[in-house]
Amino acid sequence: MKRVLIVDDAATVRLYHRKILTDAGLSVDEAVNGIEALEKAMQSPYDLYIVDINMPKMDGYTFVRTLRADLSLMQSPAIMVSTESKEGDVVVAYMAGANGYIIKPAKPVELTLLTRLLLGEPD
Amino acid sequence: MNNPLLEQFVQEAREGLETIGRALLQLEHAPDDKEVINALFRSIHTLKGNSGLLGLTPLAGATHHAEDLLDQVRNGVLPFVADYADILLEWADFVSDCLDDLDTVGELQALRDDRAAQIATALKGCLGAPGTAVRPVESESPAVVADWLQSFPANVLEQEKHDAARESHPLSAVHYQPDSECFFSGEDPLLQLRQVEGLRWLDIQPVSPWPDMAELDIYRCNLEIRFLCRMDGQALKELFRYMAPYTKVRQLQGSTFRPVFYLDEAESDPRPLSEEEHTAWFKIVETQRKILELPADAGIWEGRLQSVVQTLANLYRYQQSQPMLEALSQAYDRCIELKSAEPVLRLLRGGDGNPAGFVDGASSALAGSAPVAGPVQEDAGRRTDESAEKASRVLKVSQEKVDRLMDLIGEMVVAKNALPYLAGKAENQFGNRELAREIKSQYLVINRIAEEMQDAIMQVRMMPVGTIFQRFPRLVRDLSKKLHKQVELVLEGEDTEADKNVIERLAEPMIHILRNSLDHGIESPEARLAAGKPAQGCIRISAHQEADRVIIQIRDDGKGIDPVQVRRKAMEKSLIDAAKAESLSDADAIQLIFHPGFSTAEQVSDLSGRGVGMDVVRSAIEAVHGSFQLESKVGEGTLLQLALPLSMAVTNVMIIESSGQIFGVPMEMVVETVRVARSQIRHFKHNRSTVLRGRIVPLYGLNALLALDEEQMANEQDELAVLVLRMGAENVGIVVDEFRETVDIILKPMEGILAQLSVYSGTALLGDGTVLMVINPKELLLCL
Repeated sequence: MKRVLIVDDAATVRLYHRKILTDAGLSVDEAVNGIEALEKAMQSPYDLYIVDINMPKMDGYTFVRTLRADLSLMQSPAIMVSTESKEGDVVVAYMAGANGYIIKPAKPVELTLLTRLLLGEPD
Repeated sequence: MNNPLLEQFVQEAREGLETIGRALLQLEHAPDDKEVINALFRSIHTLKGNSGLLGLTPLAGATHHAEDLLDQVRNGVLPFVADYADILLEWADFVSDCLDDLDTVGELQALRDDRAAQIATALKGCLGAPGTAVRPVESESPAVVADWLQSFPANVLEQEKHDAARESHPLSAVHYQPDSECFFSGEDPLLQLRQVEGLRWLDIQPVSPWPDMAELDIYRCNLEIRFLCRMDGQALKELFRYMAPYTKVRQLQGSTFRPVFYLDEAESDPRPLSEEEHTAWFKIVETQRKILELPADAGIWEGRLQSVVQTLANLYRYQQSQPMLEALSQAYDRCIELKSAEPVLRLLRGGDGNPAGFVDGASSALAGSAPVAGPVQEDAGRRTDESAEKASRVLKVSQEKVDRLMDLIGEMVVAKNALPYLAGKAENQFGNRELAREIKSQYLVINRIAEEMQDAIMQVRMMPVGTIFQRFPRLVRDLSKKLHKQVELVLEGEDTEADKNVIERLAEPMIHILRNSLDHGIESPEARLAAGKPAQGCIRISAHQEADRVIIQIRDDGKGIDPVQVRRKAMEKSLIDAAKAESLSDADAIQLIFHPGFSTAEQVSDLSGRGVGMDVVRSAIEAVHGSFQLESKVGEGTLLQLALPLSMAVTNVMIIESSGQIFGVPMEMVVETVRVARSQIRHFKHNRSTVLRGRIVPLYGLNALLALDEEQMANEQDELAVLVLRMGAENVGIVVDEFRETVDIILKPMEGILAQLSVYSGTALLGDGTVLMVINPKELLLCL
C-alpha cells in the first residue's frame, strides 16, 4: 500500500484530506508542521507528500526544499496545497521542489485522480 | 452535529479564537512583536482556509478581510494600532457567534450575512494601498535538521565528499549518542561501531566532562560519537534501527536511489485513459517540464530532478507504457552524467501538446519572475528547535468518552463495596470463614486497583485554571474602557490544576467577582489620585494548590467594602434588625453581601448589578463544595479567597444512624465525632450546648432538624453521639444515634420533585443495594 503524508497545521484540512485519501485506498499519516513531517519522513520515507505552505515552526517551502536536499528522501513527489492562487506563490513552490500546486479546497474527485496519477497507481 | 468534519472545524476554530484573542491583547502592549503578529496571521489564515473548505461563505468572506489586514501588518505596510484590535475583536465575536450557530443548528443563520458584510467593510477600511511592500519569503531555517552536521570539521567533510564522489562511493555522516542507560538494554556502542563498513573518520567525546575516577559511574554511558563512513543512509538506518532515537544519519554523497522505472506487472498493453485522466495526466507532465526549466541552486538540483523523474515515471506506470519508461530511464542516466536536466527536458518537449499547468496563469508567471524565490539560508531564527521539542504527543478525546469512563469507574468503586457485605454474609449466614477471608483479600486487591483507576481518570480530567483565566484580560479590558477606569490585571499560578467540572463551574462566579471589583472596587483615576493611590488600579488573581484544595485569590486595591454602609443597607432591606447590626463585628458585617438580595450599589448598574448580588457567587462556589473568605479594608482594597476541591466526582461520606435510618454526611464538613455525657449538656431556653476543647458548641438533634418525632438515643453510659461539623468559622454539633463507617460514594443529585428538598445534597447507592440519603448540613441548619 502506498503511503502518503499530509502536512498541514489545520486539523480540519488534515481530516478532510485524510478522508479523501483513505477512501482512495492509501495509507495516510499526518504531521502538523515541516519539522514533524521531516522527523516522520526520516523514520520511513513516504511515496507522496501533500504540503500546506503557511505553517508554524517550518513552512511548506522549507520542508520541500529540505526533502529535495536529502539523498534518501528526495525522489518522492510533493504537492503544495494553498488558499493562495497568486502566480508568484506557485513559482516559489516549484522552485522549492514541489511537483504540483493545488488550491484549497480541492474537490475529492480531483484530488483522488491527481494522487493516483502521481503515485502511478490506477484504482 | 453528526458531521465529523464540521465538529473538527468548530473545535479547531474555537482554539484558534483563543489564540487570536490572546494575541490581540498582547499586541496592544507590544504592537511590534513579530512573533505574535505571525501567530495571529497564521490563526486567521487557518480559519479562513477551514471555513472555505466547509463552504461557510459569510465566515470565510469576513475572515478573508481580516487576513488581508494582518498580511499588511505582517509585511510592514501598516503598523498595528489599537483601532485594529477593536475591529478584529468585533470580527472575533462575529466568528464566535457563527460557531455558536454551527453548534446549535448546524448551519449559519441568515442574519450573519449582513453582519459579515459590515465587518468586511470595517476591515477593508483599515487596509493600506496594496502592494506597497514586498513580502519577504517567509523562512524559518531548517536549523533543526542540519544543525548537528555543523559539528563535523568542515575540511574533513569537504575532503571526504570529494574522495567519495571521485571513487563513486556513497558517504554518510552519523551522530550517535547512546542512551546513558544503554548498557542495561543490551546495547553495545563499541560492537555497533565495529559493524560500520568503510569508516573514514571517527570522533568520540564525553557528553559531560569526565568526572574524577572516584566518582565515575562506569555503568552509565557518557559518549557522543560522530563518524563518516562509506555506507548509504538506508543501510546505516538498518544497522542502527534499534538505536534510532539516539542516532541521526545523513547521506552526503552518492545517490543509491534511482527513481523506480519498472512496472509492477509486466503487462505490455498500455492502459487507455479516460478523458479526465488524460487531461490531468498532461497537466502534470506540463508542470514537470516547467519545473525543470526553472533555475535551481546546487543544493536541491538533484533532488528536484529525481522527484520530477519519479513523478513522470509514475505517470508512465499509470499508463503502463513500457517504452516511455525505458526512454525516461535512459534520459535520467544521461542527466546524472551531464549534470543537466536537458535530456529529460528534450524527452518532454518531444511529446505533443502544451496544456496549462495545475494553476491557470502559472506559465505566464514563469517568464520573468524566477528571482522571487530568494535564497533561504540558516541565518533566520533558531527558536524553532525548542518549540519542536515542546510539542508533546497529545490525544484528543471528546469529553463524553471521558465522562462515560468516569461513570463506569465510579460504578465500579461502588460495586466493589458489595464485597465486604458478601464476606460478612459468607461468615455469618453460611458460617464459612475461609471463604469470607478469601473474599476480603480479593476485595483489598480490587479496592487498590479501583482507587488507582479513579486516580488515573482524575488526572485525565484535570485542567489548568488558566483555561478560564484567559478570558479575563479581554473582560477587564472591555469593562475598564466602558467605566473609564484604568486597571491592570495580574494573573498568577495559571498552571494550577483542578477537575474540569470544578474549573468550568468556576468561570461564571469568577466573572461576577471581577465585574464587582471593577464596578464597585476600583475607583475612577481621579478618585484614586485624590486618595494618594496610583491612577491605575490593580486586580490580582492568583491560584495555588494547598493539600487537596485549590486556592484562588482575587485581590484588588480599590476602595474596599464599607461595613457601615453594608449594615445600613442590610437593615433597609430588613435582612437584619438594629440589634443584630450593632452586635456584628466589621469583619462579619461585610459577609452580609453574600446574603440573597443584597446589593450595595446605589443603582443597579449594567455591569455587575443585574439585580443579583454576591449570593450567586456563594451558591456557585458551594455547589462545587467550595468555601470562600472575604476580607476588606476601607480605602485599601478587598481580598476574596476561594477554596475549591480538586475534584468532585467521588465524595467521602460518614454514615450515621438516627431514628432507625441511615444518612450520609460529607466528610469534608466533619471536624470530629465525640460522645458527650448527657450531664455535660447545658440547656438555655430551648437551646442546648456543650463545651468541647474550651469552645462552646451549640447542639442540635438530627431528628428534630429532620422533623422526625423520636428522641435521640444515648448509649449504655448515657452518652450522646455528637457529630461536630464545620460551619464557616464556627463549629456546630449534631446529635445522632450512632456513627458508622465512612465510604466513598458517587453522589447523584436529587431529581424531579425531590430536587426541592434542599436539605439533601443527593443520594448514593451502597454496596448492599440500599440507598443512602446524603445530608447537606448547611441547608439543614438554615431550617432553624
